[in-house]
Amino acid sequence: MVFLFYFLSAIMVISALLVVSTRSPINSVIYLIVCFITMAGHYILLNAQFLAVVQIIVYTGAIMVLFLFVIMLLNLNKITVPTKTSLTRIAALITGGLFFLVLIAATRLTFEIHPRYAFDSKIGLVSEVGKTLFGEFLLPFELSSVIFISSMVGAVMFGKKDK
Amino acid sequence: MSALIFTIVLGIILLYLGFVKNKAILAPVAIAGLMITLFLLFKDWGLGSKYFHDMIVFDNFSIAFNISMVIITILIFFFGIDYYEALEFHVAEHYALMIFALTGAFLMTSFSNLIMLFLGIEILSIPLYVLAGGKKYSYRSNEASFKYFMLGSFATTIFLFGVALVYGASATFYLPEIKIFISQFNGHLPPMMLVGLLFILIGVAFKVAVAPFHFWSPDVYEGAPTLVTAFMSTVVKTAGFAAFFRLLNMGLLPLPVPLEKALWVMTGLTLLIGNLAALKQTNFKRLLAYSSIAHSGFIMLAMLSQHNTSASVILYYTFVYSLATVPIFIIFILMKRAADGSEELSIFRGLYKQKPWIAVFLTILLMSMAGIPPTSGFMAKYQVFVLSISQGYLGISIVAILMAVIGIYYYFFVMREVFTEREQSYPIQVSKINAALIVVCGVAVVMLGIFVWNLPI
Repeated sequence: MVFLFYFLSAIMVISALLVVSTRSPINSVIYLIVCFITMAGHYILLNAQFLAVVQIIVYTGAIMVLFLFVIMLLNLNKITVPTKTSLTRIAALITGGLFFLVLIAATRLTFEIHPRYAFDSKIGLVSEVGKTLFGEFLLPFELSSVIFISSMVGAVMFGKKDK
Repeated sequence: MSALIFTIVLGIILLYLGFVKNKAILAPVAIAGLMITLFLLFKDWGLGSKYFHDMIVFDNFSIAFNISMVIITILIFFFGIDYYEALEFHVAEHYALMIFALTGAFLMTSFSNLIMLFLGIEILSIPLYVLAGGKKYSYRSNEASFKYFMLGSFATTIFLFGVALVYGASATFYLPEIKIFISQFNGHLPPMMLVGLLFILIGVAFKVAVAPFHFWSPDVYEGAPTLVTAFMSTVVKTAGFAAFFRLLNMGLLPLPVPLEKALWVMTGLTLLIGNLAALKQTNFKRLLAYSSIAHSGFIMLAMLSQHNTSASVILYYTFVYSLATVPIFIIFILMKRAADGSEELSIFRGLYKQKPWIAVFLTILLMSMAGIPPTSGFMAKYQVFVLSISQGYLGISIVAILMAVIGIYYYFFVMREVFTEREQSYPIQVSKINAALIVVCGVAVVMLGIFVWNLPI
């Protein structure tokens, strides 16, 4: 188990680094898919089957394929590194460095976490998630349909040709 | 709850009415539906009903804000009759999306659970991203939509991250339980909770365009269709502040010291940036965007001066501000048409010569925005200052009063243009409904200022 955890983590970190360091967008997307699949592996290690399946279906399946389509359709595969002035580079470096410092300071303090409830290994199973979703969280579940209908209406509005 | 369900059904009915060839029936149906919503809301007054494991609570606070938002939406729909006459396609979708946004606003005033707040913000925002791009073939409108979408999604993500961190620390989404959890620590919160709360506040502050999270607002206000801009600066702002107040009041008060300091700094910055940046604007919509940021500062001041009457003062302020904003946008559209599509301040030149009565009402409305007696805008600002001074926040109150005085200056820019003489290139044409709206809102703004000084909550 522990070996598997470190193995998955190593792949995840390496692929995540490659996402930002490769020059071609297509390679970036493919490394991102690898990163997401290893994340799904982590979910399975935590016995969260539902999250793992959703991770694969939604992120790797739907969103990443969409990314690939957009890159291919817009023909963005050429290696384009936008040139920036040295001023923006220095500004970006300072901002990023400061943010990094803040993050390190914050995580150093947050490592001690005392959970209020003991870990329940069954909590990530599909049946448990379903019971919670249709019991306590029924109203948010139903109301999220309004989000979907309005985004669908928006897609039709922008996509349809006006004759 | 019945009002919430009814508005969702109304939105779907409007979508189906899009199939009917005659688009003149859309606005009357929408307005009639909103009238019924208003009735349903009044029926729930005082009951304080809770639904679905206390996910939402329709107490008097939420019903009062809902009623004020429905009234403003009705006014905007009356404006829509004239505004959408020239538009040929997707009129039904525009109305339906605004109704859906209104349901999101209902959730934002009545949540008692962080999940519901998140859903409310999203249901409000996603139709707005679409509406901001309502003019499909206008470059500025596309820019507004895209900018709003990218920045808005980013803010929502930060908000959601904050919710996750708060849940991680306290193991609950329910606001009263979070309040109990916070009170256990006696001011020394665990860092995870503190960071989570900060992220939540950043997310909400973005939605109400409080500095330093205000950069999207002038660009989006300028690019979006004017009717949508009117909707954003009134209903959305009201919903955002209702949510902000409810979040603080139900869950987070008394605030941990670092967060309280951050919020005070944000208030001061909002007052300064909103008013000072407005001085340099030449585009009228941008001017109103900055003035709306400035108004956010005053509402923040009322919100942070925690007192029993804070909610009532915020309700009065947002309602009065919305009531003045809608007709100002109507007059702006009339002038824009007469000036062949220009949006500069100079389009108001010569208004008094051609249509003196509109000029008089515009002056009254701008006076209300600036806070000059006897209009209700003055009463609203006055109550905010009384509240903040009585709670002992003297320094920031003085800053706010100074900024209110500077605010008068840029509203007078517009008034000066109105009374300067010049020949219009086209005659100003006012439809009967728009004329009635301007008169009703103008009279209401004055009457509220003289007779009604606070709204029941």
